[in-house]
Amino acid sequence: MALDRERLMQVLDRAHSGPICEPFKWDTEVIPQTIAAALRKYDLMKTCDPDNPINQDDALADRFFQAGFDVAVEVGMLCLDTQRVIKFSREEIQRGMDSAPAEFTLGEGKEKVVFRHRGLEDPFPPVWVAPLSIAVEEHLFIPITEGILRERVVDCLEGPSLQTIWGSKLRAGSPYELLAGKLQADLNYEAIRRAGREGIGMYAVGTAPTHYGVLGGYGIPGGYKPERDIVLLLTPVEMKTSYEVLHKLCQTYNCGGITYGGSWSMIGGYAGGPEGAAVSCIACTLLLYTAYQASNGASFPYDMKYMGNCGRKAQWALSVVFQALSRNTHICANSVLNQTAGPATKMLLYESAVGMMNLAVSGATSCTGPRTAGGKYTNFITPLETRFAGEVFKACAGMSRAKANDIANRLLPLYEANLGMAPKGKSFPECYDVERLQPTEEWQRIYDEVKEEVIKAGIPLK
Amino acid sequence: MVQSDVLERLRKVILEESSVEEVEDVARAVIESGVDINDAIHAATEAIRAVGDCFEAGDIYLPELMIAGRKMERCMAVLRPHIKASDSGVQGGRIVIGTVSGDIHDIGKNLVATMMAVRGFDIVDLGVNVPPLKFVHAAKDAGADIIALSSLMTTSLPYQQEVIDVLKELNMRDRFYVIVGGGPVTPEFARSIGADGWAENAAAAARLCEMLMASGIKPPVAETVIP
Repeated sequence: MALDRERLMQVLDRAHSGPICEPFKWDTEVIPQTIAAALRKYDLMKTCDPDNPINQDDALADRFFQAGFDVAVEVGMLCLDTQRVIKFSREEIQRGMDSAPAEFTLGEGKEKVVFRHRGLEDPFPPVWVAPLSIAVEEHLFIPITEGILRERVVDCLEGPSLQTIWGSKLRAGSPYELLAGKLQADLNYEAIRRAGREGIGMYAVGTAPTHYGVLGGYGIPGGYKPERDIVLLLTPVEMKTSYEVLHKLCQTYNCGGITYGGSWSMIGGYAGGPEGAAVSCIACTLLLYTAYQASNGASFPYDMKYMGNCGRKAQWALSVVFQALSRNTHICANSVLNQTAGPATKMLLYESAVGMMNLAVSGATSCTGPRTAGGKYTNFITPLETRFAGEVFKACAGMSRAKANDIANRLLPLYEANLGMAPKGKSFPECYDVERLQPTEEWQRIYDEVKEEVIKAGIPLK
Repeated sequence: MVQSDVLERLRKVILEESSVEEVEDVARAVIESGVDINDAIHAATEAIRAVGDCFEAGDIYLPELMIAGRKMERCMAVLRPHIKASDSGVQGGRIVIGTVSGDIHDIGKNLVATMMAVRGFDIVDLGVNVPPLKFVHAAKDAGADIIALSSLMTTSLPYQQEVIDVLKELNMRDRFYVIVGGGPVTPEFARSIGADGWAENAAAAARLCEMLMASGIKPPVAETVIP
């Protein structure tokens, strides 16, 4: 579905004509005060229930949605370059949500994948997009990507991301990034060819912190293809936009492609506690689909204390956000799961099990990940944890929230005390045979043991 | 008004809900009361540290912390001209902070800047997407002691190194401590680029600045300091 020009121009025009607001006022007054008022209005203060990390209360999810809708209307999006607010009326936001697709496809031929709006506890299989853009060394880009693509549970390809380009340091916002956009496409295609996954849909462009990577790699000869792939528009927190994001939006329009709108909200950050972060995520999601005409995406919570979202409060907020979106819209919502532990650790797999199960039962259409070791370390991503997370995600489709909550309560005690000091684990070359693309015995054994544990806990893995 | 009352008012306007204008008014009243400037700064610092402790305990969130940090900055702006030369040492030092080129993430940088202000440092916040030369010029113009570089993306990490490279090229490396932080910034990376310090989180970054200022060692330090 091509982007609508009138809506695009409306956004650009409002970025230059909306009310002026300084970022400091936005962060310290507009956002926290509006969210706090919505929490009070809908009686949502102190509703976070860490003992039940997967919400069971539909009415609560609906109240969160209404609060998020109010905030989206009240606040709008701040354009950082013009320091003007792009505001939308309630009707415009509703029309934006109504016009978002309830179903779309990425990929071609045998690799075509259907993204469909999912209800709560929906048996329709969710889509696993892997991996998140974790930096890897240039010479390992193809082996890691090929290894991940050999995992058939992976439906679409996003990362990893480049750290250098032909040996030179890749610098965000520089001409290097423009070149890297195309280079990433080239490397992806080689990995895809080696793995026999021709036609797989891609998220463009993992190695593109600014618009230059997208301009260099998307919609150009030999690059990412508008008819098969989707463009990542990641918007700054909370509810901000920038020329960088709007450039990507315009490039997508020029090429006739579709967009992914993503963001996050920090628990403990501008939005406040888990309840505020949940409201912020819902509001931001409505704005992403309205302003960017997104086909996929959403805003999801992180916990500032450990920079991840696999702890109880973040899991609760995640469940509320996706349940609210599932029950009150028909969008194809996507989340990111941010694990904190590294490869070859049990903790990484426990975090994945809880988070992926939660998303599967809470109505997420798709998930992008894993974000192994919080994405902090170069080469800390392997195919095995990618397989595990995807297996759990798909296996939990159709599971009840009550059962998932019970399983989460069994698994969380296995790792939650270590969230602030998660084990780094081992890098790809340390726990994989780089030539054969097979895990070491140690990493395979850890996988087998945790798989057995989560099956015993109730996750129906094969 | 007796001097103890005015100091108590200063503590209250920083700790409790008030505008920055009120804080400035009270700070001016402090000056007019003739209270010892050291006592005034001590009172303000005590109050702002209490706010920082509340944030670290999870009792308040980032907006409240940032507002308190802004109030502290304004308070110090009023008090600072009245610090006598003999009072030198009452300030923590001056820090130029920003998110490096190609990176528009500000939440971590804002948090670190605020925690530094909470610890009594004078902050010059350059914002986001700041080119290497701008850091150096700003630090020189401000008479800064420390340059603090934030980065959330691996593709903006090279710019942290470039700031240090520029300082060396301009023969200014011995004028400023350079500390680095952010999601993908590891202690190993900090050491590899010759940074003077690295910290895991905002509170640790503020402690790091105190350690560097108290060290008496001229930059660059031989071994990257990690609190």
